Amino acid sequence: MQDQWSEVDKNQHGIPRVSGGTADKSEQARVKEQKQIEQYQRLEADVILRIKSKDYSNDTFQATSQLLSQNPEYYTIWNHRRRLLQDVFAKERDRKEDADAADTEAAEREGLTSPQREISLLVKEDLHFLVPLLRQYPKCYWIWNHRSWLLGTATRLLPSHTATELWQGELGLVSKMLSLDSRNFHGWGYRREVVKEIERMSTSSMVEKEFSYTTKMVQSNLSNFSAWHYRSQLIPHLLAERQADCDARKNFLDGEFELITKALYTDPYDQSLWFYHHYLMSTLDPTNSQAPAILDPCTDAERSYYYEQELENVRDMLDGAEDCKYIYQSLLELSQQLRQLDAGNQAVIKGELTAWLSQLLKIDSLRQGRWRDLELKLKL
Amino acid sequence: MSLAAGPGRGGGGGAQGQLPDEMKVVVEKHVAYIQSLDTRREELEYHLTEHLRISGIYWGLTALHLLGHPDALPRDGVLDFLFSCLHADGGFGAAPGHDPHMLYTVSSVQILAMVDGFDELEKRMKDGKLKVAKYIAGLQQPNGTFAGDEWGETDTRFLYCALNALSLLGFLPSQQADQPPLIDVPAATAYVKACQNFDGGFGTEPGAESHSGQVFTCCGALSITGELDSYLGEEGKDRLGAWLSERQLPSGGLNGRPEKLVDVCYSWWVMSSMAMIGRLHWIDKAKLTAFILQCQDPEEGGFADRPGDMVDVFHTVFGLAGLSLLGHPGLVEVDPA
Repeated sequence: MQDQWSEVDKNQHGIPRVSGGTADKSEQARVKEQKQIEQYQRLEADVILRIKSKDYSNDTFQATSQLLSQNPEYYTIWNHRRRLLQDVFAKERDRKEDADAADTEAAEREGLTSPQREISLLVKEDLHFLVPLLRQYPKCYWIWNHRSWLLGTATRLLPSHTATELWQGELGLVSKMLSLDSRNFHGWGYRREVVKEIERMSTSSMVEKEFSYTTKMVQSNLSNFSAWHYRSQLIPHLLAERQADCDARKNFLDGEFELITKALYTDPYDQSLWFYHHYLMSTLDPTNSQAPAILDPCTDAERSYYYEQELENVRDMLDGAEDCKYIYQSLLELSQQLRQLDAGNQAVIKGELTAWLSQLLKIDSLRQGRWRDLELKLKL
Repeated sequence: MSLAAGPGRGGGGGAQGQLPDEMKVVVEKHVAYIQSLDTRREELEYHLTEHLRISGIYWGLTALHLLGHPDALPRDGVLDFLFSCLHADGGFGAAPGHDPHMLYTVSSVQILAMVDGFDELEKRMKDGKLKVAKYIAGLQQPNGTFAGDEWGETDTRFLYCALNALSLLGFLPSQQADQPPLIDVPAATAYVKACQNFDGGFGTEPGAESHSGQVFTCCGALSITGELDSYLGEEGKDRLGAWLSERQLPSGGLNGRPEKLVDVCYSWWVMSSMAMIGRLHWIDKAKLTAFILQCQDPEEGGFADRPGDMVDVFHTVFGLAGLSLLGHPGLVEVDPA
């Protein structure tokens, strides 16, 4: 079993091959590398010794920071860092409300006890430490995990107003990360987690806001597969929350078709857009249990109506894009659905199906086997 | 990933002779490359990747099996290292002193299966197999999925890992019918199904977009529990097969998600999934073969993510497994699940 999917590992990807490998390294480079190794091993040995002797001091904490900055993939060190923090948090919680009047006063202003304030400061400091690391290694699972653990710990140990505030801050961070790489699946996963937590703590839904966020994302870059995906996931919740009736649902579906049709006219070669178009069509397909219906009720007459409408729309897209395979795929898909629903429908004639399929066989040579199978299935 | 090697199943044995040079797998060089991996201690990279060591050995060993040189790494040395990573709770870390984790536990179990080392495990730890199985089972969550370790990260990767390792150990509930089940299989498969999207693919968790790696883990999980065919049906296989076949780009290589770069390792994740659902003929095998071979370093051995990049053991095993699945001559045949 692999450790990371390919796109994830900074160490193993996209590094140009140099001939000869290590043999060609200059003496100077070799000496430098030996020094780096010694320095790294010293630091590692120091951290491990400190943890073994349960030295949960600030110095140890800083040493783990140093080591993790050099090697954020070293998961055991992240575990040690959490053990250290757990120890510090436990000590804070056992500590008597203290002594220092200024501390107590500062804590009270934030609605916290002074140990709680201390914990919140430590959590914030650690969140802060992670930001440059995330920017440098946006695909490192362990950094995202540690962030998620810090927030979860804050939820357990701090009053809800403080924890909520921390989670709210994460929305800003994750939006920033997604603006840097709109396809980072760690970022999208983290966003779902953040939204779920904020919703849970505030007992109010963020569906409308998140839906608007996806609108903003696809408007700034139409070719954002992940944003279209997220949008498709939000729709059932959005409609339920709006208590959308039959007409409202139909209007909604029409609006989405309009949005995607416009986008497809701009770039019919973009797979992300076809993905969303395909999704909208799937909501009309009762056999696809992963795409809940948008229309309610969704009658056969309405299905036919949309299939015919989209057949016409997509046919029009061929004009000037005769070499675009996605158009033929969509036409074939739509015709099959229409024929399943209404075998006698004349919106598509057999000759057209044959013509579309032979176009695909011609322009999509990589997938000949798939189109041959379809040819058999359609009995052409 | 289990390996089914044996006489009569080989992908063509030594029939590389007639192939043009650029189509030949440089078997001896790959073997030498893998053997050299543990001697690179003068490289910083060797030290920075210690957190992957056990998986690295698994990748290397699997590659050697595919190359027909299963004994090229010393069995005793491998076992000694492996047991130095074993914790009292039955979990394995990536290297001595590293914490136990699902990923390294499954790599260890896979290595033990490959070198026929389960007896050795029993010798070194009382009821060792059961202990390891219990470590894995203990990571199952109430919703059916599995965590990677005590810190609780969940991902369908870990779910597949758990089923894979338990099946190799012989501790799946179906393999231990007279014992109380160690894990809740129906909950696990229900979770996998909740990760499926309308496009037929699967994500890391419910709501996450489809990703080829996750397609492999989810199909693999359902395949191990024997539900893949009945769950997907022909319609579902067509849908998933369509999504997977779109992963092939004009270079011949495969990507992991729409509009991402091609990468040799997806030769395995995508192709094995296609093989599991009987749709492998939906991509151009000749072009993919040529792409994988372009990622081979013909001088020093090993495969890279893309042509011209640095090689590593991860891409080496998945490049070779891909070629094996494509039936390329000179390699041992591999089982997609």
